[in-house]
Amino acid sequence: MPYQEENIKTRVVGVDISSNLTTLAVVNIRGNIIAESNFDTSEYPDVNDYVKRLSEEIVQLVEANGGYDTIRSVGISAPSASFTTGCLVHSPNLPWKGIIPLAAMLRDQLGLAVALGNDAHVAALGEHAFGSAHGMSDFILVTLGGGVGSCFFSAGHEHQGYEGLAGEIGHTCIEDHGRQCGCGNRGCLEAYTNAKGIVLTAQEMLAASDEPSLMRNLDTLTPLTIKECCDQGDKMAIEVYRKTGYLLGIGLANYADVINPQAIILTGGISKAGKWLTEPLSESFEEHILMHMRGKIKILTSKLNNHERDVLGASVLAWQVKEYSLFV
Amino acid sequence: MMELQKMKSNVVGIDIGIATTTYAVIDLRGNILAQESFDTREYPNIDNYLGVLSEHLVNLVERTCGYENIRSVGVCCPNSNYKTGCLENATNLQWKGVIPLAALMRDRLGLAVALANNSQCIALGEQAFGAAHGMRDFVIITLGHGMGSCFFSNGKMHMGNKGFAGEIGHTCVVPNGRECSCGHRGCLESYCAERGVIQTAKELLAERNEPSMLRNVDDINPKVLTEMAELGDHLAIETWRRTGEMLGMGLANYASILNPEAIILTGGLPHAGRWLLEPTEAAFENHVFRNIKGQTRLLVSSLKDGERDVLGASVLAWQVKEYSLFL
Repeated sequence: MPYQEENIKTRVVGVDISSNLTTLAVVNIRGNIIAESNFDTSEYPDVNDYVKRLSEEIVQLVEANGGYDTIRSVGISAPSASFTTGCLVHSPNLPWKGIIPLAAMLRDQLGLAVALGNDAHVAALGEHAFGSAHGMSDFILVTLGGGVGSCFFSAGHEHQGYEGLAGEIGHTCIEDHGRQCGCGNRGCLEAYTNAKGIVLTAQEMLAASDEPSLMRNLDTLTPLTIKECCDQGDKMAIEVYRKTGYLLGIGLANYADVINPQAIILTGGISKAGKWLTEPLSESFEEHILMHMRGKIKILTSKLNNHERDVLGASVLAWQVKEYSLFV
Repeated sequence: MMELQKMKSNVVGIDIGIATTTYAVIDLRGNILAQESFDTREYPNIDNYLGVLSEHLVNLVERTCGYENIRSVGVCCPNSNYKTGCLENATNLQWKGVIPLAALMRDRLGLAVALANNSQCIALGEQAFGAAHGMRDFVIITLGHGMGSCFFSNGKMHMGNKGFAGEIGHTCVVPNGRECSCGHRGCLESYCAERGVIQTAKELLAERNEPSMLRNVDDINPKVLTEMAELGDHLAIETWRRTGEMLGMGLANYASILNPEAIILTGGLPHAGRWLLEPTEAAFENHVFRNIKGQTRLLVSSLKDGERDVLGASVLAWQVKEYSLFL
């Protein structure tokens, strides 16, 4: 047989599934996004219909951008996903309940290898390959948004845990018998530091005093509008983020005590609150971290474009799965 | 002429405890061929200590299997750093500052020496010969004077950036809570390690008028508390219950982050048995994240107390590259 130069496939597809929007992109080895499209996740209450639509979208995007045979594999980022099993596990926010073998379902539709990871895990891969964690072998990535999730690297590899469910920092107890959390437990870190938790803290503070506050004039309290009040010097709004940062500082110090990371990287919408959050957070972190680690752990916010982070991470994940194609 | 080389099948495991130093010759299946010990506290000077230790060790080895049959040495010592081979700012040992213990011993013995802290050595020992055999993701908790831990991530020990990982005892469980020896407040250790348990007992005695056999005890310690619990003393039982409640919560937080297959308890306190373990398990299940509820095994070490640390140190010895001055 004559020698033939084999075509190396240099592209993958990264998919980011969130509760309202699904974004997919063709991404090359260096993390350049070649093409991107999206559709509405919530239109598909039946997961079979969803997988069919996703598969069609991928084929369409890929065919219009270099062809199917340039694609090595597919990586998916989704909340409540387990890399180990390739399943969505009891997602509280997605429309599909129970345990869903999403990776296997999509592989069967597409005929390409598919890897699935949860959003924190995938974001960590993205930061490690193309972002703030580049060159680090032990770091923690924390996602702060609708939920509070995390993933850490141990000696250069992401830690998955026995069933791939590791990283639930949001559901560690920060206050025994504290606030009710969506997970059913009480006093979880997430109940104080996710979007809902911050709004609740603001509402509690508004109700507890008559002090004037710009927050009283807001139609809807959101982490963003509260942050804007901080920017205008509103004392109570600043206090809301101070409280949030204080608790988050304790939670992250506890995390760092057991992991001893080089850095903690914050991503997600809440991390956009900037100094209002990060200053009290750092102060509380340094106050609670064990002495010999004090001052030695960097707290960083992600530099990657919010919109691109997840598909980029998903593309890194795609490279981790063994190549497989029905067609070659 | 080529000769078939003889494989060295024995190592030395050393456990440096605050009170006692134990050293043993151990084969690759974890059989302890010979073991001796002496009082650590007699040697406030580290050079004297190492001189005596080396001398004893050479004697023991010569009597047991001969120096040429020892592959390497593993040392288990509190506040040790596996990554640097140094004993770093020990809190309870008498030698202060940063001491390059592994290098000092290698120079004296002419053999490769590996150093790690107690939790790490025990984790290695449990994985090789104990309760964690066959597990890739598990946590070891040492619960005695202090509270430490070590976890394995996908079959490998997690050490962290500088080798300091595993400080579960100093995670905060009660903001502004009890004062801890580390300078912080509300650390898990200040409730669940020996001193913490004793303090809980004393607080209970002060806050309640109930009669208790504990009131007649001069020196309350975990052993006495367990005996009293066995005899049905309510305050002793309540002391363990409160301890277990705190411990269960701390371990649940740990498990929510790590998703381990099992958490293995070692050290003196787990000897309290069901008085401690039942409330711990209840609190654990109550606080752990829903997806892993009922899926993490809480186990107690199956290795013998006097052997666990030297056995772990022997497993550690196999991890260092072989080296000998004499061959």
